[in-house]
Amino acid sequence: MNLERVRAGALLGSLVALAVVGCAIGTTTTMGSGDPVADRQRLMKNVGANWAEIQSKVKAGNAEAVAVNAEVLSLHAQRITSYFPEGSLSDKSKAKPDIWQKWPEFKAAAKNLENRAGTLRDQAIAKDAAAVTTTVATFGRDACGTCHTPFRVPPPQQPAAPRS
Amino acid sequence: MKIRHVKTGIVLGSLIALALASSATGQSMTKLWTSDAVADRQRLMKLNGASWADAQAKLKAGSIEAIAVNAETLALTSTQIPALFPEGSLTDKSKAKPEIWQKWAEFEAAAKNMGVQAEKLRDAARSKDQAATEAVAKEFGRQACGTCHQPFRVPPPQPQQPPAPPQQLQPR
Repeated sequence: MNLERVRAGALLGSLVALAVVGCAIGTTTTMGSGDPVADRQRLMKNVGANWAEIQSKVKAGNAEAVAVNAEVLSLHAQRITSYFPEGSLSDKSKAKPDIWQKWPEFKAAAKNLENRAGTLRDQAIAKDAAAVTTTVATFGRDACGTCHTPFRVPPPQQPAAPRS
Repeated sequence: MKIRHVKTGIVLGSLIALALASSATGQSMTKLWTSDAVADRQRLMKLNGASWADAQAKLKAGSIEAIAVNAETLALTSTQIPALFPEGSLTDKSKAKPEIWQKWAEFEAAAKNMGVQAEKLRDAARSKDQAATEAVAKEFGRQACGTCHQPFRVPPPQPQQPPAPPQQLQPR
């Protein structure tokens, strides 16, 4: 047997293997538009819209109906970290570089949102209006704030919204 | 120069190119979801069912603009669908058909189509145009849900029954 041929065969074999592995990794579907800042701002806008609807439902005495919105928050929360690839900052982004300096804390904050939204969802499904109202009352601070305070540049100061 | 060497060179070269190209498309992906793709996608699709039910209830109540949030949710979740169907992820709990992976491009296109339809619904709702929103909503089940569920999902039992009550979220 010709040594040269064996070598060529081995080389071919490893390249085939590499190509196959490469393809297998390649099939991982990427999500979003390729612009992580736009993608996460779109996601967070929908989080904000669902949060607004939760508040208006509670105000209207329709606390049980917030389950669908709370589940949206919980599922969107799972997506957050993947929309913050390292160093993805632009002049449009309000993200602080601290995100990547304290990545485990950032991840924990996203997980905290997921869990609290899950709690809210379960309270709504259980038709426990009192529990829903209590959770909603502290949600801004305990769920949104634990991430926005350390990791987002504060939005321009707005007149305080009327409390209700 | 031997012909055989040239041939080997060509084959090697193309394999290297293939390996590089396929690695490049791998991109950097954060591990998402839990390790149970079937449970993850069923959770997502249940939310889609609930969002759609919410949208329909709002339509009936005439709260047109409020439908936008549900439609945007549907549009956003549609982008996550393909990633929740890793090849061969079938269990006895799954209603997915193997056709998904045989016709992956069509499956991806169906998910993409759902996003387009949901954005249409969202934009109609945002414009507060009741007639336009109703028109999109009327076709949504067939145009958005159906184009994927028909070819790629095992039909639920008793399709002849009267319409099921709006899908509710269940405690997890």
